[in-house]
Amino acid sequence: MDLTYSPGWTTSVREVVIGATSSEGGSRRISYKIGGENDLPFIGNSGHKPLIAFEICDDPTIWPEVVRSACRDLINNPADWAHHADQELNADLIRLNLTSTKKRNFSNYKGIGNTIKQVLASTSLPLIIEGSNDQDIDSEVFQQCGEAGQNERLVLGTAEAARYRSVAAAAIAYGHIIIAQSPIDVNLAKQLNILLREAGLPDDRIIIDPYTGALGYGFEYTYSTMERIRFSALKGDLDLAMPMISSPADSLTVKEVREATFTDETAIAWEVATSVAAALAGAVILVVRHPGTVPILKDAIDQLKHGRGGI
Amino acid sequence: MALKALDIYKLLPKKNCKECGDPTCLTFAMKLAQGKSDPDACPYLDEAAKVVLGASTRPPIQKVIVGMGTRAFTVGEEFVFYRHEKTFYHQPGIFYLVSDNESDEKISDVARMIREDYFTRIGMDLRLNGVAIISDSGSPVKFSEAVKIASLKGEIPLVLIASDPTIMEAGLGVCGNFAPLIGHVTEDNIESFCNFGEKYGASLLLKAESPDLLTILVDKCLAKGLSNLLLDLTGPMGVFVQDSTVIRQLALSRKVPQFGYPVFLDVSQSGFSGLITGIVKFASVIITPPLSKPDMIAALVMRQNIYTDPQKPIQITPGLYQIGTPGRSDPVFVTVNFSLTYFTLQGYLEATRRSCWLLIVDTEGMSVLTAVAAGKLNETIIKDAINQFKLADEVDHGTIIIPGYASPLSGRIEEVTGWKVMVGPRDAAEIAAYIEEELK
Repeated sequence: MDLTYSPGWTTSVREVVIGATSSEGGSRRISYKIGGENDLPFIGNSGHKPLIAFEICDDPTIWPEVVRSACRDLINNPADWAHHADQELNADLIRLNLTSTKKRNFSNYKGIGNTIKQVLASTSLPLIIEGSNDQDIDSEVFQQCGEAGQNERLVLGTAEAARYRSVAAAAIAYGHIIIAQSPIDVNLAKQLNILLREAGLPDDRIIIDPYTGALGYGFEYTYSTMERIRFSALKGDLDLAMPMISSPADSLTVKEVREATFTDETAIAWEVATSVAAALAGAVILVVRHPGTVPILKDAIDQLKHGRGGI
Repeated sequence: MALKALDIYKLLPKKNCKECGDPTCLTFAMKLAQGKSDPDACPYLDEAAKVVLGASTRPPIQKVIVGMGTRAFTVGEEFVFYRHEKTFYHQPGIFYLVSDNESDEKISDVARMIREDYFTRIGMDLRLNGVAIISDSGSPVKFSEAVKIASLKGEIPLVLIASDPTIMEAGLGVCGNFAPLIGHVTEDNIESFCNFGEKYGASLLLKAESPDLLTILVDKCLAKGLSNLLLDLTGPMGVFVQDSTVIRQLALSRKVPQFGYPVFLDVSQSGFSGLITGIVKFASVIITPPLSKPDMIAALVMRQNIYTDPQKPIQITPGLYQIGTPGRSDPVFVTVNFSLTYFTLQGYLEATRRSCWLLIVDTEGMSVLTAVAAGKLNETIIKDAINQFKLADEVDHGTIIIPGYASPLSGRIEEVTGWKVMVGPRDAAEIAAYIEEELK
């Protein structure tokens, strides 16, 4: 009986290298390749294992309450927090969200440079840096980020269609990777990648963030957009053949989680559910904030990666 | 391969007699092509055409109903691989698994949980579907007692798991009339189980070492005239995803018709992540040990999301809604009737603990961004809503706050409505900061 599955894929997702070890000019203990899949997620054996990034921030006042209480001894010290995520939680990556830059009248540019250096010193995992989201300060913020992480092959976020030049400039000048975010729309994701290429960024330095809507509040749009991006990539659209990142951070702020009786359990369930589904739709970096999510998600990815090994 | 509507039309009598219930043969053909109608509805179809149409218009995945009465549910009858191609039609049934070794009290607790627990979101009640009883005791008497307690006199759909026909028959003795799903049907017991399928009308759960061996079991059941079948693809999560993906593809393309049956998954080993995997990757009946409440809610919300029809955004009725207990001087926020926008905004507004009015205008369920681009959110619609819902009778300040993405419309809205317009934030998450800064 003919049980072959012939989807007619022509193209692989591009490989992107994040982080730089000493032999690659940086100081990380490991660097990762992501992407490389030539089929749907977890089908066959192609591509690299999805990574879990634990997200911390430099100003916890706007961080979800449930995470602040779960990480309460660490939230005022990004370096300790990063060290904990690395050594105790066994995350694959650290994402440092520079929430201080999102406050009004932010001007402490030197401060964020120092924070990045401290975090780079306290963990030897590759780092994702989430910078400002305001055109007026982007240029200086990303200049600081780029410089502080020089040679480390950071992942810098976030470029959007309306404001990508500062992020792109820092990534080009200092050799970093970029996160390109579009609002849950496959065509806008494609356009932004084209803009970034025209700005001088090589394709293997781009990670797509199709934006992760909260579970229960539009996650299905994200799920389908990710499926469409992956489908287009495998069918040969090189403008969409980049690996994807998913950050279900919004799932921690929805009413069902804020008002839950078992707050931690609920936060973990929503983060795990969103992340597992995002991975099944093609995301290869899963960004989470609750420490309890990490071991459950790690186990899920291990289970998903043990398939039949080729069809 | 499925026939296209025009190919089907060529086989129809083209009398436009309307006896099938459709106005023309062409509209009937279009329904047949989508699997939405049955060739038998046409009284003038010749036998040869019936054979061609019967084989190619049956849904590529067989429809199966589990249970009786109000809680019975339908699975299968799916047409697409990606939900964005059209939609996924029938949500997977989620069953709590209990052993017949458990105490009567525990079994009846689980059954009551299934019968009574639900929660409501976006105007829909979300519930689990039934109880799965597995024979661990090896005793027919114990099994039938457990089944009897769990079935709540047929109210709750059941899955019975016992491969020994004697034990299974004991279970069917107490719930055989309630259309349970029974398994596992294997090479060894298929004769007896086919007899149960005939005698009780139970659906059969087929299990084999590998997908290609499943096709042999399917053929044996079909030879006995039994087509209410499910395929058990339980295995390590990675193996499940691969098998489920390939089987869905081969079923939809009709290359392997034996795979055209709904998929079953037991997540006892893989846990909550396995349950989520089953929900997004084509499982139709999933059994799991009883879940914590947070896990249960997250899973049901995921199921609701994935099975939402992408072409029909869930809408909210336009109107003037209250957050808290607003008075004549409290602010009025205007937004669209896309339910996600409404529920998101409502959540953030409630979190501010500030009473206010929410004027929902009819944008046919489009989000703010889309509605502005498509001209569905415009000054006339806002003016009509202000009049229709008598906003002037409720507030004195004559001011409305529009979504940030609608800011280009603010001048025209002021002109046409005569109300003062303030531009709110683009993102509902910023509404608290906005209220604090702009509305003191």
